[in-house]
Amino acid sequence: MKLAPFSTLMRHNSQPHDLAPAVAPSTATATFDFHTVTWQADGFGFDATSGEFFTASPTALIVMQALSEGVARPQILDRVTAHFEVARSTAERDLESFFAELVHIGLIEESN
Amino acid sequence: MNASPVIAVTGLHRGENPQPGSAVIRSLRRVYPELRIIGLVYDSLESGLFSEEDAPDAAFTMSYPGAGEEAFWQRLDAIREIERFDVLIPCLDAEMGPLVDAPEKLRERGIHTCLPTVESFKCRDKSRLAELCERTHCRTPQTLAVSDVNSLHQAAMTLGGNVFVKGRFYEARHAITPAAREAAYWHMLEQWGAPVLVQENVQGEEYNVVGLGDGCGHMLGCCSIRKMLRTASGKGFGGMIVRDPQLDAIAQSLIAELRWNGPFELEFVKSEGAKGEYCLIEINPRFPAWCDFPSALNCNLPAAAMELALGWQPREPLRHATPGKFFIRHAIDMTGDIRDLAALTTTGQFFRQPREIIPHPAASRGL
Repeated sequence: MKLAPFSTLMRHNSQPHDLAPAVAPSTATATFDFHTVTWQADGFGFDATSGEFFTASPTALIVMQALSEGVARPQILDRVTAHFEVARSTAERDLESFFAELVHIGLIEESN
Repeated sequence: MNASPVIAVTGLHRGENPQPGSAVIRSLRRVYPELRIIGLVYDSLESGLFSEEDAPDAAFTMSYPGAGEEAFWQRLDAIREIERFDVLIPCLDAEMGPLVDAPEKLRERGIHTCLPTVESFKCRDKSRLAELCERTHCRTPQTLAVSDVNSLHQAAMTLGGNVFVKGRFYEARHAITPAAREAAYWHMLEQWGAPVLVQENVQGEEYNVVGLGDGCGHMLGCCSIRKMLRTASGKGFGGMIVRDPQLDAIAQSLIAELRWNGPFELEFVKSEGAKGEYCLIEINPRFPAWCDFPSALNCNLPAAAMELALGWQPREPLRHATPGKFFIRHAIDMTGDIRDLAALTTTGQFFRQPREIIPHPAASRGL
């Protein structure tokens, strides 16, 4: 399986938007809570406290599920490289930029 | 009092800037389908009069608030000679002042209401919001009241230039340039009178809370939404139910501080960013136009308000609707008949008759 870009985590507001394709990764459970967002296996996430909703790529979903389980970053990297055909260095770089994105939209703290 | 109470509701026009009356009627009928409801209208073309689902049983024209309080009470008495209503649910901001100011006039007429005290009503006034927010540790945008063009520009400069110009009762216009500010100022002055308010622009998502206060500092029920769709004038045209303990706590502290009695709507903007804070924009002293949406989800605040006004025991506890449910407003065309319009225009009253059904030609073809 090829690595999908992490950056397909999209916040959907009232403005017109394109829906990101969201395909359920085979390893995902039915739903899981990450921060205040409940994610479905099909990549749709709803934040009941803010009323915002998101779509995430299969890769992003795997990473957030791992974060919700308290998995450390090196092990998250292991999970990603185990699921997708990707060089570890590439996955590591993409993972860092994805974490930065999560910090930006307030889903994780800076220190994570 | 009537054996079965008769309810009067105002604000029946659901146009570009929808009024709450029709939503209140719809909510009341969800619980009390046989309830007799009369509409008090200011215009014979208020759209709610012609609705199939949420029209009042009868309607009466009211004198405009500008005609003065005496005219208002005289007209109310004249209407009650024909339809002795027991409960009044006012749905327009401009009506609230005279009613809140004169609880004894309502009492002596035997009209039951669910209204705040004069003091709590004044404390939520746009011009006094900062004081209230200071007492409740709630953020609010800086707001300055102005009554002339020079002070308008001065206020705008003080607030950084990028401001909202707001009417005393309704409407807000975003204004960045001096020309836009001035145009908005004159519009608000003409529509709603002085003072005009100039408010700092806080950018972020808009959240609204509708609820019902018991007058002792508690909320009998509430429902919070994030505005999903907005019209060009900023009116919510769609909303998603949210449940944020932080927002609930802010709402509770404001209502406790005001010891608010009756319906209310709190309007917030949550500033952008991961650590965005709720900022109180205004408190409306009535139901909002979207109040029937929670009613459809077992949080029927208008029915509870009527029960509270009548001193009835609440039917059941009001539930907070489930996050994730949302509403989208859908504008449709109503059918009216010139006879209804004539009755309301000439006599100031209109009694709803069963609708004439115009058969579709295809119906007789035996398709």
